[in-house]
Order: sequence, then structure tokens, then C-alpha cells
Amino acid sequence: MARDRNDTKRTFRKFFPPKKKFCRFCERNIKEIDYKNVEILKKYVPERGKILPRRVSGTCAFHQRKLATAIKRARLLALLPYVED
Amino acid sequence: MKQYETAFLIAPDLPEEDNEKLINKFAEIVSEKKGKMINIEKWGKRKLAYSIKKFDEAFYVFFNYEGEPDIPSELERNFKQTEAVIRYLTLKKGAEKNIRKKGKKFKKVEKQSSSLESQSDEKIKEIKEKTLNNEEHQEEK
Repeated sequence: MARDRNDTKRTFRKFFPPKKKFCRFCERNIKEIDYKNVEILKKYVPERGKILPRRVSGTCAFHQRKLATAIKRARLLALLPYVED
Repeated sequence: MKQYETAFLIAPDLPEEDNEKLINKFAEIVSEKKGKMINIEKWGKRKLAYSIKKFDEAFYVFFNYEGEPDIPSELERNFKQTEAVIRYLTLKKGAEKNIRKKGKKFKKVEKQSSSLESQSDEKIKEIKEKTLNNEEHQEEK
């Protein structure tokens, strides 16, 4: 039974593969992310105020690191919230 | 000479004239220490994402300047003394250079070159052996 379910899952993935994610910073050839650019940072901070994980947003490891530091700096200056509920 | 960026927040309860005075005072510190002010950014009054010292708004000011490392320390000392400054942040600009990457590349290049050399040595040996073998064969014939 278990195998059957796996098979159906696999075939489903075969015909409807998940949309491929890509790094939006690599696409635009951005090398440094500024903490003052709140509008861009806000896209990576959902309602709760946490940093969006890489597996969800699709940013590459290099840019995720830069993003995280930028968001943390912005938080210090109260441009972004630490927690929000 | 290094490039720095200092951001600080001024409490909203001050009148605007005092605000200007404060900013001028901090700008003078930079010029006194023989620093070169590149530009001053003022965002004006802005809502804070969370309250700091029970203020919900603040004036955002950004300094971009060039100079010796004693300027930011002097500025921060002044920020601590003045109560109107709620928050501050200084950053070195263009300091983030990836040294590790360079080292890795160097190692790779060295490895490749060494492997190439060993390869070439082996090849030469092989060729020599082949030629020797061939000669032996010819002699037999």
C-alpha cells in the first residue's frame, strides 16, 4: 500500500512538477543588499516578522546571508519589527 | 582612510530647530577630526516598527563620511551623552571582502598544476616504455 502511494506521488510530481524557484538577487546581478532599502527587505519578512527561509523564497546561500544581516541591521534601527503578532 | 556610515535616530519631542542644531553639532565633530563628509541623508519623521523609550516616531539621519577610526568612536561617545539620540548604528563600508574564497582558488590552482606535472611525468614514462617495447619487437623481427 505504502509503495502504491509513493508511486502515485511520484507520477503526480512527474506530470505537475513544482514551479522552479530562483534567486531574485542573482537575476538582477545585485552584490550587496542595503539595510535602508526597506521595501525589498519587507518582501522577505512575512507577517510574523521572521526571516523567510531559503527553501521557501529560493534565494541562493550567498544572498540569503547578506539578506539576513541586512534585515538584522534594519531591525536594530526599528525599520523592521523583531516580533509582530 | 576608511569609509563609514553612521545612522542615528533623534527623539520626536524636540522642535525642528534643535534637531538641526544637533545634526550640525555631530557634523562638526566629523570635520574637526579631519574627516571628509560625503553626504548627509535625512529621512525626516518616520514611524518606528516598535516603540523605543516609549516613542513611536523618530527622525532618521544618515551620515556618510571618510576618515580615521577615531571619528566613529568619538561620535558614539557623543550619542551616548545626548539623551535625544535614541539609537545609533555605525558601519564600515566596503570592508566585506571574501578572503577565504581567494585562498581556496589558489589551492585548487596549485593542486591542478601539481597533478598536471605528475601526469606529464607519467606520460613521458609511458611513451619511453612504449618506444623501448617497440624497439625490442623490431629487434625480434
